[in-house]
Amino acid sequence: MTLEGALLLGLMLFSLGLYAVLARRNLIGILIGIELMLNAANINFLAFNYFIPTDPAVAQIIVLVVIGLAAAEAAIALAIILKLYRQRNSVDVDAMQLLRSTGAEASNE
Amino acid sequence: MSSTSIGLVLLGAPLMAFFVALVVFRKNHLAAMMTVLLSGAATCASAVFLLATKGGTPAEQASRAWIHAGGTSIEFGILLDGKTLIMGTVVSVITLCVQVYSLSYMSHDPGRGRFFAFLALFEWAMLSFVYSPSLMQTFVFWELVGLSSFFLIGFWYRKPSAIAAAKKAFIMTRIGDVGLFIGLILLFQTAHTLDIQTLNTMSVATGNFDSGRIELITLLLFVGIVGKSAQFPLHTWLPDAMEGPTPVSALLHSATMVAAGVFLFARFHPLFMQAELTLTVVLCVATFTAVLSSTMAMVASDMKRVFAYSSISQLGFMLMGLGAGSLFAGYFHLTTHAIFKALLFLCAGAFIHEYGTNDTVAIGRAGARKLRVITLGLIIGGGALAGFPLLAGFFSKELIIHSLHDKPLFLAGAYLASFMTAYYTFRVIFLVVFPNQDSAVQVEEPPADSHDDHHSSSLPLHAPILLLTVGAIAVGWFGDSIASVLGLVAYHPSLPEMAPAIGVALGGILIAWFDFGRKSAPQTGFISKLAPLHTLFKNGWYLDVIYKKLFVGAAQAVAGLLFGTENHVLDKASDMLGQGTLTIGETTGKAQSGRLPLYIGLAALCFSGAIIALGLEMMR
Amino acid sequence: MSLHFAIAAVVSLVGALLAVTQANILHAVFGLAIALVGVAGVFFTLDSPFVAIMEVLIYVGGIAVTMIFAVMLSSVSNPKERESAGRRLLAALVAVAFFVGGALVIAHADFGPGKKLPPSAWGLEQVGRDLLGRFNLAFETLSIVLLLAIVGAIVIVRKESAMPANADEEAS
Repeated sequence: MTLEGALLLGLMLFSLGLYAVLARRNLIGILIGIELMLNAANINFLAFNYFIPTDPAVAQIIVLVVIGLAAAEAAIALAIILKLYRQRNSVDVDAMQLLRSTGAEASNE
Repeated sequence: MSSTSIGLVLLGAPLMAFFVALVVFRKNHLAAMMTVLLSGAATCASAVFLLATKGGTPAEQASRAWIHAGGTSIEFGILLDGKTLIMGTVVSVITLCVQVYSLSYMSHDPGRGRFFAFLALFEWAMLSFVYSPSLMQTFVFWELVGLSSFFLIGFWYRKPSAIAAAKKAFIMTRIGDVGLFIGLILLFQTAHTLDIQTLNTMSVATGNFDSGRIELITLLLFVGIVGKSAQFPLHTWLPDAMEGPTPVSALLHSATMVAAGVFLFARFHPLFMQAELTLTVVLCVATFTAVLSSTMAMVASDMKRVFAYSSISQLGFMLMGLGAGSLFAGYFHLTTHAIFKALLFLCAGAFIHEYGTNDTVAIGRAGARKLRVITLGLIIGGGALAGFPLLAGFFSKELIIHSLHDKPLFLAGAYLASFMTAYYTFRVIFLVVFPNQDSAVQVEEPPADSHDDHHSSSLPLHAPILLLTVGAIAVGWFGDSIASVLGLVAYHPSLPEMAPAIGVALGGILIAWFDFGRKSAPQTGFISKLAPLHTLFKNGWYLDVIYKKLFVGAAQAVAGLLFGTENHVLDKASDMLGQGTLTIGETTGKAQSGRLPLYIGLAALCFSGAIIALGLEMMR
Repeated sequence: MSLHFAIAAVVSLVGALLAVTQANILHAVFGLAIALVGVAGVFFTLDSPFVAIMEVLIYVGGIAVTMIFAVMLSSVSNPKERESAGRRLLAALVAVAFFVGGALVIAHADFGPGKKLPPSAWGLEQVGRDLLGRFNLAFETLSIVLLLAIVGAIVIVRKESAMPANADEEAS
């Protein structure tokens, strides 16, 4: 077990998360990707603090805070997803394009 | 009473009359007319009294500073010297005559109260201009005179031609006024004083000016004179100004206002005398104008227009006299001309009013000679204008011709002009006195549209005409008095010196008799045998057309160019700017597809690129 | 120790793969749960048992379960539909590029010599002291954030109409 190994694991998890965020159309799938990326970051924090300590236990506290924030984020995100589903009967990210440019104004003139 | 307080009455009365007539008696025409008349009488009396008491004594000046600034104060007040006393008297007398005359002439006009108010305004402006002791006052009232002229020409403001004429007069004189204004500013800048008396004592010799500067200043002043006194090339407004009521033509556009230019010349006579080049220019312009406008007068069929052209020509005469160095000749002619030309206009107005037409031939055929008093006035005034011996114009014109005796070219021009003057004057007289129903001449002018059948009471109409008739006979004999008031000595030409001028005048009258007076005369004039010349004269040498083509056309071309630039270049450019912005917006807007994964993917791609670059860098 | 780490790493990677590749979103959430358990194992091997326990409690026990609820509440019309191959390829390219870059950096970075801290400095007691001492502000802020998140989530999901129960049931 080395620092590089832990970092590589974090990198892999992060890449998988990124892949999920980009490839998934389902909003919950994207949320899963985000959670993976957060955990990858957590692993990095702990690994650095464990192998190259500069401060006794700060990484553990950071990770705890991140976990708490992730919980809050997940709660809000899921609430929004539910709301969207109720309004539009869809959780497809490609359908969420209300703010896109339509060129409607220009064609009116 | 001191002369200063009389001067206050003189200048204050017309101004107060103007406000009272315009503001208080708007609806009450009679009251307005009487107010103005009273003020006119008061002014006239003051002016005559001042002339009688102050004539020949040293100049007196009373003024109050309006503004002190930078070591100079702008003064308003009155200056009493020979020039102002004579001119002021002439102006106020003729104004009073015209006001009395207008009582009858305008008696049925619905706007007569306003008319009299404007007459008072004009009188105030003109007298303030004449009696002005400072450049600033001179300029201010010079412009106010122009303004009241604009009001009076456009008095019948429902008549499109009157409006056009008023605008034309205003704009044409404005061209001259720009020159005058620049000239006055330069004069002030050079001399550092606004006081006219001080200015007239300055000279090149005492080192107040250098000779180039004084040429420039006087030339610019002369531009203003050209505009106001209707000299070539700015003379075209004066014939059109006849659109105004005839009393206005008599007062403003023959006797007084147009003489303001000549008066300005006389006012600054010492300065002009130091500018050789300017004097030559003045002589050239004046002589050319005198000849040019006489040719137009020979063929004009409208009686008022004949006299209008004649005014231009006579103003040219005055400037010739002044330009030749004889202040007295020019000033004397200014005085006599004011009287007999006002007389002629009042007579013309009476005929026009009576017969409802401006056409000389039509007036004659309608039996104008039956109006004996008026016909007498016409004959006397015409004789004076033509330089018939012993009438007013004779003496003054002789002096002018005498003053030119060492300048053969201009002398020839003066003879030519005075020959034509005699010819066209007696053309009018003969057409009125010896009408011939069978002659070949055609009536050309349409009947005046404003004619009504109210024939006016004779006393107010006849009294001024009679007074001026007496003046036209008598004033010529007062040359010595006028000269002494001016502080000059009158020159009396001997009979042999006068002979050529008398001969020319009588010759003109004779040819006029041959063309118009004798029985079975064709009454068309010898000019009409030369058809192209006739057309040229008739159309005023096409100057109006040329001006229209040249200046209006040029202005329109410039405007068209600017319009085109605006429309096709600037507008297009701004359109393209707007359209381009829209297009860019639409194009870049397409990138805003709203597809979140795309955004994140691109961001991640960029970030990946950055890390790969970093990793490759660390590999090295 | 290395063995434990390797096992945990493999578990988490397998779980993550499941989470991102499963077409059925419910299976993906299960994959996520497995991955998170693996991550908790990694935390354990990194001498942080308390964090590992929290990971399991909050993530696996809280977030993943909430997600399952959400998936069930939002019954997507065709849950098994896969994304298009092109989209997945592009996403994979980006992810691989990122991985390559990161791997290059890790491979060539010089982290310097490591040194171990005494267990007392790394223990639970130290964490507790720090959490309520040095980092008290972060701790308290986090609690407020969580409270707001809960309230916010309720507000967002709440029905707009104050209308009664049958509308509620209709939605769920």
